[in-house]
Amino acid sequence: MKLTVNGKTYDVDVEDDMPLLWVLRDELGITGPKYGCGIAQCGACTVHEDGVAVRSCQLAASDVVGEITTIEGLGTPNALHAVQEAWIDLQVAQCGYCQAGQIMQAASFLDLNSEPTDDQIDAAMSGNLCRCGSYLRIREAVKTAATKLRAV
Amino acid sequence: MRGIVLAVLIAGPVTAQDTPTKAQGLAAWDDMYSVTSHPRCTNCHVGKGGIPMWNGLTYGADAVHGMHVQAGDSRVGAETMPCRTCHIGVASANATPHAPPMIDDAWRLPPAELAWLGESSQDICVQLRDPETNDGFDMEELATHLEASAFVAWGFAPGAGRSTPPIGLDKMIAALNLWASAGTPCANDP
Repeated sequence: MKLTVNGKTYDVDVEDDMPLLWVLRDELGITGPKYGCGIAQCGACTVHEDGVAVRSCQLAASDVVGEITTIEGLGTPNALHAVQEAWIDLQVAQCGYCQAGQIMQAASFLDLNSEPTDDQIDAAMSGNLCRCGSYLRIREAVKTAATKLRAV
Repeated sequence: MRGIVLAVLIAGPVTAQDTPTKAQGLAAWDDMYSVTSHPRCTNCHVGKGGIPMWNGLTYGADAVHGMHVQAGDSRVGAETMPCRTCHIGVASANATPHAPPMIDDAWRLPPAELAWLGESSQDICVQLRDPETNDGFDMEELATHLEASAFVAWGFAPGAGRSTPPIGLDKMIAALNLWASAGTPCANDP
């Protein structure tokens, strides 16, 4: 089957029900999306399907209907996404394992809601767990990114 | 033998042509309420707060949906985290415990007016018989909805050991049809 990931089309020979996360990591070597729980309870595997955040551990390869974007395709080192910039500015990450998922969730959320309240940020990000407890910095970074994006 | 068959036909139980009594209609409603009050249904049939529940899933009594998910006014989580982020909108065997259920439809909460969580049998009865408060269904359309909705079908066969309503979908549809034929009686009707 064909999958478009980060603007590049791949022909992959996998079982229909293989989770997209497995395809990305094991077949395509795109390891930004992380395996955490496998049942959509942690958010570490979050990617975008046509811009909307989805848990790639739950999306079967044959059910992918849109273009997939992973953290590797959100921005480039020379042109970071506003959320990535904010994450660096506020030094959000501690161990970093969940952060690719956090950033992908935040980027999708800000695409839907450019002027979020703190409560909305908390609600939008509450499905992405961080064992290091970086939640306060996450919320501040989302607010910072929202301000940057509104200024564009 | 022919006489026995004739006697059975004459003295047989209520046939499809007979109008059920109010008592039969109320008994049918009791069957329906056993479904509309079951956590498989009330977990999503919540009111304006838009916060789904995880009752009946071993997480304890009155457990709200994990991650404090908020479906919002949109009822699909558009304001914060769309339901589809986890409940991917494609058919699934739903065989993995604790994983988000999926059906071939966009996961969402029913309209807030169809709140069943914590509502009495009388209140839900009155709500469901009136198109003004039941999302516009007449009883025939409601029966068709029960037969055709992927959500309803999933609720009666949720998979992965999840609890199911006390009666099956066929019996629920039969109860609805009987209740409708009896004139949709509710217990406190005059």
